[in-house]
Amino acid sequence: MTATLAAPPPTARRRPRRGGASVWLFALPALLAYAAFLVYPALQSVELSLTDWNGISPTRHFVGLQNYVDMFQDDTALLALRNNAVWTIVTITVPVVLGLLLAVLLSGATRLKPLLRTVFYMPAVLPLVAIATIWGWLYEPNEGAINVALRDVGLGFLAQSWLGQSSTALLAVMIPAIWVRTGFPMVLYLAALQGIPAELYESARTEGATRWQQFWYITMPSLRPAHYIVIALSLIDSFKVFDLVYAMTYGGPGNTTQVLGTLMYFNVFRFYHAGYGTAIAVVITLIAIACGIPYVLSQTRAERR
Amino acid sequence: MSAPSAARARRRPRRLVVPLVMTAVLLVIAVFWFSPFLVLILTSIRTSSDFLQHGPLSAPSSFTLANFGEAWDAGLFSSTYRNSALITIVKVPIGVLISAMLAFALAKLRMPLRRTIMFAVFLGLTIPIYITLVPLFDTIRQLGLIDNVFGLLGPYLAFGIPFEVLVLHSFFRAVPEELFEAARMDGAGNWRIFFRIMLPLSLPALVTVAILDAVSTWNELLMALVLLNSDANKTLPLGLLNFQGQFATDYTGLAAGILIAVVPMLVAYAILQRWIVTGLTAGAIKG
Repeated sequence: MTATLAAPPPTARRRPRRGGASVWLFALPALLAYAAFLVYPALQSVELSLTDWNGISPTRHFVGLQNYVDMFQDDTALLALRNNAVWTIVTITVPVVLGLLLAVLLSGATRLKPLLRTVFYMPAVLPLVAIATIWGWLYEPNEGAINVALRDVGLGFLAQSWLGQSSTALLAVMIPAIWVRTGFPMVLYLAALQGIPAELYESARTEGATRWQQFWYITMPSLRPAHYIVIALSLIDSFKVFDLVYAMTYGGPGNTTQVLGTLMYFNVFRFYHAGYGTAIAVVITLIAIACGIPYVLSQTRAERR
Repeated sequence: MSAPSAARARRRPRRLVVPLVMTAVLLVIAVFWFSPFLVLILTSIRTSSDFLQHGPLSAPSSFTLANFGEAWDAGLFSSTYRNSALITIVKVPIGVLISAMLAFALAKLRMPLRRTIMFAVFLGLTIPIYITLVPLFDTIRQLGLIDNVFGLLGPYLAFGIPFEVLVLHSFFRAVPEELFEAARMDGAGNWRIFFRIMLPLSLPALVTVAILDAVSTWNELLMALVLLNSDANKTLPLGLLNFQGQFATDYTGLAAGILIAVVPMLVAYAILQRWIVTGLTAGAIKG
């Protein structure tokens, strides 16, 4: 199973299939749940986003694309969109590079591998609220471990209110995200590294290739399928950002860490702008779908090869 | 014979040094990675006055378990654990079963519109949960399930299906058709083949999918935040969110509360990690 990460998938043979009415009995329970609780509400949201609904009132009026026009004149929405872009770039690039580095280091450390893999992946299994609480506690300006550590090593001038000031708040929320998201690429790269034949390295070594050359000319090209999957899945995941921002800063201070997910939530459930809030959700969903489609298509078509 | 072995001997020191340096680097990163948990543990077992006097990075000069009792009550953990366990235990088996049925139909039966259905279902992987919040709030209210942990069941099933079907479909597809042929000759129908042959053969994949699904069900915040409001009905992430606000300045109590919330999960993870790791890898391979 794991070997296919590093090598092209084996070609599937076309098999005879059985049909009949029972096919639908197999398919319908999941399809109905999926349609009723995901597809249908998502489409309803598109309709709501064209109205001025406040979320409570029994009436709503069709306003066309007004909510979308408003969004592009709303500084907070534009800031949130920018924050989403920063978030996407940073919380993909850093975890992927770090995860690859850790995987390469770990693949050499045979005895420590199981233990350290467990440690590095550990944050990823926890609720993001717990991650947020842990880091909020570490960031606490007076007694938090981070500022105390800085003071202890004589860097007290760097101690600051990490989450409380607009200059550092977004960075301070992305660091726990990196802590959570490095484990996934590491696990995938580790599996992919196992699939690279050892003979490739042996023959490279006999020809005098340095470790660095081996990495660039053997490891990296062999990992190409893994890179694709890691980046595609991280990209899909990054648009879902909500929990960490909500639980650590509430989008603050002064909206500086607002992302589209939190802004949507506040608009709908705090400011009673349900129409506008769903328009924000529609925009981010369209971006997410557009970025995810190549991956989805590759999964759908895989068996043709 | 002697020349190459002499060369190897000369190179040996370097070959030993590089892995040693790599291991040292790894260990330093690992300790750093784990350090938040260490500080939490140290803080949770000391008294508040000891903490305030000496700070989080000092060795504790006192020992107490009182923080845990206090945090357990204030954090509503007995009810949030129960609610999270309830929805996870109900949701995961249903989700895995119906996803396995759909995956079986897609992988092994003659299904009309097969590729379209696959595309539509896999597309669900990319859709953020918040696009559905407002209409779902309305639907769940009409069903009378607001502030009821089972109101989460439908939405959680729907958002789990794409991943579960993706992984199970790729697993089922790899099972050779020959295994079913004998059963078909004997007149076994699709249901019998599904329950008697496909599911038992796929047990590892089913367990993996169930574990990963349980993790995401257990951890979900946003839908629960919108659909649940009274303390007695909150799930663990919601309870923790509450607790974090209340205990903001009680550092030792907060540390104990965080550990109450995460240690059982970390233990479960340590035990089940083999399945989690294979699941992640299987989920990522070509479906």
